Amino acid sequence: MQLVIGNKNYSSWSMRPWVLLREAGIAFEEVQLKFDDTGRAKGVECFSPSGKVPILVIDGEPVWDSLAIAETVAERFPEKQLWPADARARCVARSICAEMHSGFQALRGAMPMNIRSRHPGKGLTPESRRDIERVVQIWAACRARYGAGGALLFGRFSIADAYYAPVVTRFQTYAVSLPPAAQAYCDAVLGLRAVREWMDAARRETEFVAGDEPYATHHR
Amino acid sequence: MLLIIGNKNYSSWSLRPWLAMKVHGVPFDEKRIHLYAAASKAEILRYSPAGKVPVLHDGPTVVWDSLAILEYLAERQPRLWPRAPAERARARAIAAEMHAGFASLREHMSMNVRKRYPGKGRTPEVLADIARITAIWAEAKGPFLFGEFTAADAMYAPVVLRFRTYAVEGPNRSYMDAMLALPAMREWIEAAEREPESIPELDLYE
Repeated sequence: MQLVIGNKNYSSWSMRPWVLLREAGIAFEEVQLKFDDTGRAKGVECFSPSGKVPILVIDGEPVWDSLAIAETVAERFPEKQLWPADARARCVARSICAEMHSGFQALRGAMPMNIRSRHPGKGLTPESRRDIERVVQIWAACRARYGAGGALLFGRFSIADAYYAPVVTRFQTYAVSLPPAAQAYCDAVLGLRAVREWMDAARRETEFVAGDEPYATHHR
Repeated sequence: MLLIIGNKNYSSWSLRPWLAMKVHGVPFDEKRIHLYAAASKAEILRYSPAGKVPVLHDGPTVVWDSLAILEYLAERQPRLWPRAPAERARARAIAAEMHAGFASLREHMSMNVRKRYPGKGRTPEVLADIARITAIWAEAKGPFLFGEFTAADAMYAPVVLRFRTYAVEGPNRSYMDAMLALPAMREWIEAAEREPESIPELDLYE
């Protein structure tokens, strides 16, 4: 099984399945492609007709898109319980992942993932503030209703945490001030071994992708 | 089960789970909320924590977002995805691609069942989206993407209606015809045409 990803510093979609597989202890071979200036991963057409990372190559077939990868992996490794076992909790987990998958455009546009950089206070627009409020609301509801078994959204680690991990790194990059419960959740995610491993690798990357750097003051 | 949806003329996200449930014979009640009106937001929030349609209520269980609803239904109706694991993975990939992508198509060729805007909305980015959809549909096993109607077809159903409105020629005609011939699809189209409300912001090319 291969996972094809983009730059670890910038590719939030790549981070999700990578953290999911690694944190769940599922073995895979990592194939990293680097973005060009337009944000296209060089060589991606060799792996998938969609032209986008991430891609999971499983049994020789490409599965593209982070959410399809998550569902496919959850189905192939049921013993890992990547979705919550409780049916109602699972519904909520799927709903909040799907909401992340097609929403939060303002947050994504104004605060692109950039793990190694610090841009405190940047990217706060009325629209991105509304997205942040919704994220905080989602986290609070999940923690209150389903989080009793641990520090994560549904207690123990699930796809939902992998899905929101890039948001946690954005809140760090842009120094978004959060209510204590949301900050505690961020700290729990930042403490996950797979998240730490990804972020360490991101900090070592030196490629500069202009399209993901709206707040850079100098071009390295 | 209660499915809360928006205007049938405009709400492409609502069509997806509605059609999947109809085609697969899942009984449900529907509640339609007129979008973009003064009271819409408050009305939607009564049913949906995310403040968006569609949302499905099944007893105490609440599922929101079209793709999450389809996965919820598929747990009970496994035939909503293709049976073979490799095909199921591919179906999920193209469904997810629709869910998070094709932003230009969605913006410039928004769903508007009863209107005809031939030739409108064809920006270079939209044409690239159409080319990608054409490639996906070219691999349809027939009559639907994976033979029988699956959740992947539900995700692409609004695109068929868009191509009808904007007179996009080229993509797999027999696939579009199969979709438009579904009794459930005809029911949706007729209801959309009868809807009294219109939303001027979404009638893009008046």
